[in-house]
Amino acid sequence: MRRRPNYLAGLGSLVWLFLVGLPLYVMLAATLQSQSDYSENGPLSFPKHFTFSNYSQDFHNGFGHYFLNTLLVTLAVVAIVLALVPPLSYAIVRSRGRLTGAAFRVFLLGLAIPAQAVIVPMFYVISKAGLYDNLIGVILPTAAFSMPVCALVLTGVMRDITPDLYEAMAMDGAPPWRVFFQLVLPLSKGGLSTIVVFSALQAWNGFLFPLVLTQSDSSKVVTLGLYNFQTEHGIDIPGLLAAVVLSMLPIFIVYLFARRALVQGLMGVGGK
Amino acid sequence: MKKRAWLPRAVAGGVTLVLGLTLAACGGGSGSSNGSGTFHVLVYGDASNKVEKQIVDTFNKTSKVKAVMDTIPGADYQQKLQTIINTKQAPDVFFNWGGGSIQPFVKANLLMPLDGFIAKDPALKSDFLPSVFNGAVVDGKSYGIPMRGTQPVLLFNNQKVLKDAGITPPQTWDDLIADVKVLKSKGITPIALGGGDKWPTQMWYEYLYDRVAGPGLFEKALSGDKSAWNSADSRKALSMLKQLVDAGAFGSNYDSVKYTDGGSVALVATGKAGFELMGSWYYSQQQQDHPDFAKNGLGYSAFPAVAGGKGDPNDVVGNTNNYYSVLKKTKYPDAVAQFLKLMYSDEFVKAQLAIGNLPTTTNTPQFLSTSANPAYSQYQYDLVKKAPSFQLSWDQAYPPAAMTQIYTAVQEFVDGKENADGFIKAMQALPTA
Amino acid sequence: MTTTIPRVARRRTTSRSTGRSGAAVIRPSFAWAVPATLFFVLFAVLPLVLVAVLSFTSWDGISSPEFVGVDNWKALIHDHTMIQSLWLSVVITVLGVVVQTPLSILLGVWAAGKQRNRAVLSAVYFVPLLLSATAVSVLWRALLDPNFGVPAQAKWLFGDGNLLGMQKSAIGVLVFVGAWQYTPFHTLIYQGATRAIPQVLYQAAAIDGAGTVRQFFHITLPQLRNTMITSMILMVVGGLTTFDTVLILTQGGPGTDTTISAYYMYQRAFKSFDFGGGSAIALVLVLVATIISLIVVRVSGYDKMRSTSEGL
Repeated sequence: MRRRPNYLAGLGSLVWLFLVGLPLYVMLAATLQSQSDYSENGPLSFPKHFTFSNYSQDFHNGFGHYFLNTLLVTLAVVAIVLALVPPLSYAIVRSRGRLTGAAFRVFLLGLAIPAQAVIVPMFYVISKAGLYDNLIGVILPTAAFSMPVCALVLTGVMRDITPDLYEAMAMDGAPPWRVFFQLVLPLSKGGLSTIVVFSALQAWNGFLFPLVLTQSDSSKVVTLGLYNFQTEHGIDIPGLLAAVVLSMLPIFIVYLFARRALVQGLMGVGGK
Repeated sequence: MKKRAWLPRAVAGGVTLVLGLTLAACGGGSGSSNGSGTFHVLVYGDASNKVEKQIVDTFNKTSKVKAVMDTIPGADYQQKLQTIINTKQAPDVFFNWGGGSIQPFVKANLLMPLDGFIAKDPALKSDFLPSVFNGAVVDGKSYGIPMRGTQPVLLFNNQKVLKDAGITPPQTWDDLIADVKVLKSKGITPIALGGGDKWPTQMWYEYLYDRVAGPGLFEKALSGDKSAWNSADSRKALSMLKQLVDAGAFGSNYDSVKYTDGGSVALVATGKAGFELMGSWYYSQQQQDHPDFAKNGLGYSAFPAVAGGKGDPNDVVGNTNNYYSVLKKTKYPDAVAQFLKLMYSDEFVKAQLAIGNLPTTTNTPQFLSTSANPAYSQYQYDLVKKAPSFQLSWDQAYPPAAMTQIYTAVQEFVDGKENADGFIKAMQALPTA
Repeated sequence: MTTTIPRVARRRTTSRSTGRSGAAVIRPSFAWAVPATLFFVLFAVLPLVLVAVLSFTSWDGISSPEFVGVDNWKALIHDHTMIQSLWLSVVITVLGVVVQTPLSILLGVWAAGKQRNRAVLSAVYFVPLLLSATAVSVLWRALLDPNFGVPAQAKWLFGDGNLLGMQKSAIGVLVFVGAWQYTPFHTLIYQGATRAIPQVLYQAAAIDGAGTVRQFFHITLPQLRNTMITSMILMVVGGLTTFDTVLILTQGGPGTDTTISAYYMYQRAFKSFDFGGGSAIALVLVLVATIISLIVVRVSGYDKMRSTSEGL
């Protein structure tokens, strides 16, 4: 029984395609022309003389270095989350202690703490600890603030492991660490990829913590580079948009080659 | 069997250890970097940095103690400075606007009075124009050495647009209103305004208050006499600004336009607007964005006189200059003093002139012909020299904490969201030093 | 301060037991949860406590914080900008939910279909997801420039292009840019949830003669209820904490017309150097976020649907 094609939905989807596609087109077109061509011809016209100078100029302005910083932050955040959250979720799902329940409630409460709310004391603590303008000072709070969602997602996934499997392992007399490594982790791969994707995106796109906690060029991340570019050379729209394109390029490459994993990972944030 | 979970404990221990180590390492690290014979110079990040870099390099060629230059991009400079100035990451020497911008630091006893340096080398004071040098004097003590150019605010115009409309740069306020009407009737935005940035709007207030009431009113208000804002002169200045806005001088979409992203600059260059009130750096901005226009079409004049006003028509407003101030806790005061001496060197003056800045040293006139645009430099130099008063921008004259409130007030009055009473009330609520 | 998500957490606690087989199941001790909990408490919960403390102090970032009692709180109650900022936060959040929810449900259900062209289009839809909020704001700021952006070439639509200079249009821009960026994410969530709806339900409905529209309202929507809650909570928290967009697009202007609470907090603390006052606003923000999340949960009756949620 074939469903009728839904024309209305089709039309709506085309409208949305236009709304999403047009800005993306303008962005790409602008980056491929010189600044004078852009301001003369307007944003909607197709570039007449192609140039990649906007991109090379951005690298010349230090974007390469910003990328390394962002990469470092992202890897560190993912590493921290991967090291800390799975044992936590395992404990939440399997332990029956009151303390574990309390810990879980702390993380759920954390869902409602916006990062902005703690930025003032964070600044105080980080600068007192001598971590101001240091990437470590960005990594630690970023990791902490991606933990509640990660814990929630992974706990949901681990809960779906049926009790029978635990019992089977218990029959073998397996200690918790064996259960964790041989049963829980292999069966939560989907959840693990979700928390990797989520925490990586949080770190890659983070703005507020770097904005407040760093200062010098040597510790600048990509998002902050974009912001400074806009406040300093906003006139150079092609150069600015080229920087925007560059900032998404790594994720775009991941998207091209691992679309399924990325999309599945993000879907995981909303529940299974 | 084994109920103890070794893994999480090991992880916990490891994390604590790593954290502790990094904290310790970093805490020690930043302290020692200052100890290895360097001092840090913090500068507002923009196109002028190449001169500051050049001067730092010159200094490092001969000095054993090396200077290290750091920059913070413009928009966030004051904010970042205040957040780090009392931490380990504080610089030894830093860029500022004098006036209110350093007052909180003086009050917190963080800055070194430079009178000791000056006693050893009087040229540190005598080689600068007094009106400019005094911009960084707080409570009778000198806290800053001028380190860039002076930046008076001028009324720029598009010569071709004015010619086509048959008008000339306005000499008086009434001329300006008449010019606005002519340009408007031709479908041209009379005056470009980067209202989205808010501080360009503020320049109109600064000049009108000076022309109408003289520099005294603002000085009174700044010293804490809030009644100044409620005076008849204050209300007159506001009503004149209102008159200008109501005449359609700025068009209708000025709040979506910015100066900083080049929007208003392009409006004038492309002939879509006739005038723009802006600091003297406007010239180099046009030169960078629209070189042909800067060369052939850009005109400039002083802010028009106001008939019956108490202010001298020769008064200027803007940024007196920028200054280097020194932190008390610097470990190398002698090296810093040597560094500051470069700010009146011939090399410094020539390098500043080459990029369009106008230094305020007494030896500047002899190099004016070497400037990128001698006529423009000469005009500015004369303007500043003969000005009886040089009013520092309001947002710099007040302590930094007042900045956002000033911006909101100037914008809401021009937008008609607040009336004169609302503006006066907002200005009276500002924190003073 | 707990949201009702703990109910989800608890929903299976009862089904956990020592196994039927009688073998004692060895359970992990609390120690497993310690590292993560410690880390989180250190970098998120303690700062929150510190916010509360700082909100009773006066601190300019230079000298040490000074205890001033409830002064900041008293000032806050009379602060016109603060009250307006809360209202603006709520308006932007509610508009965000109202715009994004129907859009992402429709798009998500549509994208859940297996047709090839849908997969291709979806690939384009998700591109905004790859951009950071910073990048999206920078992009739109450039596109919406009244003289040199799209409005200059489409005067019939934008008029004089004073989009960021008037309150209504500035709010409109913020809501639109938010929707542009986040709808793809929520679409993705709905797409996943729609695919998880058992096909039997549709087959049964089709046998009863229900058309596409009826199926949508009687099967798809009810089945998506839980997803809707999750998605809406994410939208609410996201909306209340909108920050990058405001900082880059409007800086809270014109005047204070788009100064939402999160931005006002930043402005008070890091631009006016009133860290005590800023902390008080931050605390209000946390309270409001929690209360609204709770309301969403209650109104939607999330806590009464434990059984249906099992089906997802």
